[in-house]
Amino acid sequence: MAAPMELSCWGGGWGLPSVHTESLIVMAYARFSGAPLRMSAVDHSWSAPQGDVPVLISEDAVIAQPAKILNYLRKQKYNADYELSAKQGADTLAYIALLEEKLLPAILHTFWVEAENYCSVTKPWYASRIPFPLRLYLPGKMSRKALNRILLMRGEPPLYRLNDVEAQIYRDAKECLNLLSNRLGTSQFFFGNTPTTLDAFVFGFLAPLYKVHFPKVQLQEHLKQLHNLCRFCDDILSGYFRLSVTDG
Amino acid sequence: MKEEQILLSDNASSLAVQAFLQMCSLPVQVVCRPNAEYMSPSGKVPFIHVGNQVVSELGPIVQFVKAKGHSLSDGLDEVQKAEMKAYMELVNNMLLTAELYLQWCDDATVEEITHPRYGSPYPWPLNRILAYQKQWEVRRKMKAIGWAGKSLEQVLEDVDQCCQALSQRLGTQPYFFNKLPTELDALVFGHLFTILTTQLTSDELSEKVKNYSNLVAFCRRIEQQYFEGRDKDSSSTSRFSKGPLLR
Repeated sequence: MAAPMELSCWGGGWGLPSVHTESLIVMAYARFSGAPLRMSAVDHSWSAPQGDVPVLISEDAVIAQPAKILNYLRKQKYNADYELSAKQGADTLAYIALLEEKLLPAILHTFWVEAENYCSVTKPWYASRIPFPLRLYLPGKMSRKALNRILLMRGEPPLYRLNDVEAQIYRDAKECLNLLSNRLGTSQFFFGNTPTTLDAFVFGFLAPLYKVHFPKVQLQEHLKQLHNLCRFCDDILSGYFRLSVTDG
Repeated sequence: MKEEQILLSDNASSLAVQAFLQMCSLPVQVVCRPNAEYMSPSGKVPFIHVGNQVVSELGPIVQFVKAKGHSLSDGLDEVQKAEMKAYMELVNNMLLTAELYLQWCDDATVEEITHPRYGSPYPWPLNRILAYQKQWEVRRKMKAIGWAGKSLEQVLEDVDQCCQALSQRLGTQPYFFNKLPTELDALVFGHLFTILTTQLTSDELSEKVKNYSNLVAFCRRIEQQYFEGRDKDSSSTSRFSKGPLLR
């Protein structure tokens, strides 16, 4: 496509181009595959066409949700998975499912449900990007949505308290991080020397967890002990986003 | 769950656990109860009752059996274990969710199959109330994970993608990690066999799986090896099928 496409997403901070996982996934994929995207940070969620961020706006289509955006980019011949074998493609799907089931609940919890983190970091950051009076309402809504998702994903009967679920989700997340670290080993990216869709997803999930400064940091500390995953994030940031690693 | 009450997704999960236990050579007796969901500690079937302990769902059951000294995945290295867990999540994420969607969010299936089956052990109006309650619960979950907006075609496409990934991973090997079966094989068998042999309003779901001949051969192989020899237990697999053998 000759005309540049525009990507609406949440802005950056702490040395990251964006602090929002899904936005980051799309941005990373675009850099890996060489797609020309113009980034525009949203000020308020409802100005984006479907109200969901990130959103890709091109000449002939408006697409929301990372998976669909990535599909669209692939159809436009911006394919980062070109050199993968069929089995590696299958592995990609499997690992993405693993991330969504095991890691996502704990990340949602760290950002949106953990009271100290939410009040001192997440809410002020998002509120500063949203105009008054929406800023009084929208972060709370996102937080409730995250909590809902955690409780329903875990399938716990409504009688269970959040505390029981918390212990379980953090255990699962730490296990997931260990698995990712084992899988990455010493290679630069998950499938050799060029980054692919899986790298974009892992980066999108891990980078905010790695870089954002939280008061309550148990999962972050666990991540920091897995040096190859930290190195992986830093490599992508310095290699593809040209931001200094020491920022933030 | 009773014979006529059991639904596709629960049947799949239950078969997966049975397959796993057979693979570990542990004897298992299948018992159906209409209130099984309430008896289970996590609200989900299947669960196993051993001595005075109750453990539900495949993941915890695998852990429990491992603690007792039986494990199928000890021979795998770290990278393979990571892969195995990832593929198990893929099956749960895509196949199980698709089964739930088909059962509870597709109106035709809900009317004709799900409601009558789910409420069958109870008298009216309890059967309708419980069925609606469960339906509401499942639809809430679908909404939270973003599947509520999907159409049936999209769900079937997702199933196809998942089967393609499984088929590519399996390749020409007898099991996913070559010579010996693991819990991943049990899980995949449970879901695919159930999809292939359960009668629904349309055959679209099983057609998707049938496109991949190595997956069909895989199911047949496991069925022959682990289920056909056993008279009492094999009746549980053929109870819900169109026929005991796959076409």
